[in-house]
Amino acid sequence: MLNLIINAIINGILLGGVYALLAIGLNLLFGVLKLIHLAYGQFVMIGLYILYVLVVNAGLPFWAAAIITIIVTGILGIIVHILIVQPLLDAPRLNQLLALAGLIIVFENLSMVIWGADYRNIQMSLPVVAVGGFYIRMSYLIAFIGGLITLGLLYLFLYKTYLGLSIRAISQDLEGVELMGVNPKVNFYVTMAAGGILTGIVAVFFAPIYAVHPHFGSSFTILAFIIVVLGGMGNLLGGFISAFIMGVVTSVAAFLTTSEIADIIAMLIFIGVMLVRPQGIMGIREAR
Amino acid sequence: MLEVSQLSVGYGEFQVLFDISFKVKKGSTAVIVGPNGAGKTTLLKTISGLLPIISGSIFLDGIPIQEKKPHQIVEMGIAQVPEGGRIFPYLSVEENLKMGSFPKRAREKFKDRLKWVYELFPVLSERKKQLAGSLSGGERQMLAIGRCLMSEPKLILLDEPSMGLAPLIVTHIFKLIQDINTQGYTILMVEQNVKKALQLADNAFLLESGRIKIKGSKEEFFANEYIKKAYIGL
Repeated sequence: MLNLIINAIINGILLGGVYALLAIGLNLLFGVLKLIHLAYGQFVMIGLYILYVLVVNAGLPFWAAAIITIIVTGILGIIVHILIVQPLLDAPRLNQLLALAGLIIVFENLSMVIWGADYRNIQMSLPVVAVGGFYIRMSYLIAFIGGLITLGLLYLFLYKTYLGLSIRAISQDLEGVELMGVNPKVNFYVTMAAGGILTGIVAVFFAPIYAVHPHFGSSFTILAFIIVVLGGMGNLLGGFISAFIMGVVTSVAAFLTTSEIADIIAMLIFIGVMLVRPQGIMGIREAR
Repeated sequence: MLEVSQLSVGYGEFQVLFDISFKVKKGSTAVIVGPNGAGKTTLLKTISGLLPIISGSIFLDGIPIQEKKPHQIVEMGIAQVPEGGRIFPYLSVEENLKMGSFPKRAREKFKDRLKWVYELFPVLSERKKQLAGSLSGGERQMLAIGRCLMSEPKLILLDEPSMGLAPLIVTHIFKLIQDINTQGYTILMVEQNVKKALQLADNAFLLESGRIKIKGSKEEFFANEYIKKAYIGL
């Protein structure tokens, strides 16, 4: 019994890595652009479809398809920035939200028209391996490691480069950053491209785990938002911690009860934290 | 070094600055004094490129800069210490200083200049790992000035460095500004603390309701009856 619980915790930690990977990009976009990217999950969905086309229809090896997918979602991030986000940067927040909600419909219906309603996966089943009496799903382990590496690289970019530093500063004071000699447009483009690239990376690591369908995005957008809000919006470390909390809670609760009840428990914990700390675990309450 | 010529600026329909003309000589300290709402901050924001002009021109070393973007103006060598310092509260003290060296010409000299700024402001060195938001008002102002020096500017714009600070700290900050000027930096400062500001000035300008009313040297300002009565209280 104890062994099984430990196994559930291990699976939860791995799941947390997958969740963390999912939430990074959303968190970055909010932190820098104050952008609530409602269509984030749909970006991941598009990434998965691109990957599917490249691997199954075009017959490319997975690694090549992965690189192309990440590049395409990065470009898609820039296109969405130019067409939707930039024109609405100074508009009321609600307009941005509505525009991005519109993007959800565009992406979902386009997917429906092109690929139909079927569940599609790239038929790449990775094994479950037994390590010292514990069962570990390779696909989750890989996503977990991918999440750690991605977060590490993002950390190096944000904390060790001038561009990264100015991206962190711009969320605190836009005009102040301009007075330091920063061209804010460059920062916005880079951030939106990074947001797109991150959804591409998520798609690559999700491909062996999930099958994609036109309504794939919404549940993941909600999940990503819960993780980001729980951690403190815009706080990358907070998002990372809350991803692991959600992963472990869901996994252990699912083991002890059922997966439906596990989701309810996870939501209750989320609501409970929000009541006590509305700014999230690591969030800073803004005094304005 | 800086020449402002017949500059008019406004926010939409509402004009704030009318026909402003003045010059700041290389190596000098020029001070613009005037009451709240006279347009002092608007003037500095316009020089930094943050506000569009209605008419007129601004030259830095003979090159017109009124059409340039804020980041280009910083690259050209005009650095501003905005009102209240506007440090980045969630970056550390040292990261704030690193932001100051963002212009390409300043990056390779980051280490040397950081050492120099820490010598000027030892308190910043003691607190370099702290979040800037945890600093006191005086320390924030020092950080903002230090950050501006990191960019190796030709011209420093100071917007009300005394604002919100205790008199003793104001004296200290003004002494530092004087030291910086002595090291060869050209300074254009706007201030409400007229008496203290004039003591630093080579040249001074009185800005009232968006117009320059009086121009002159420090001595002329101190001798002017109107200035004495309205601003110094002698």
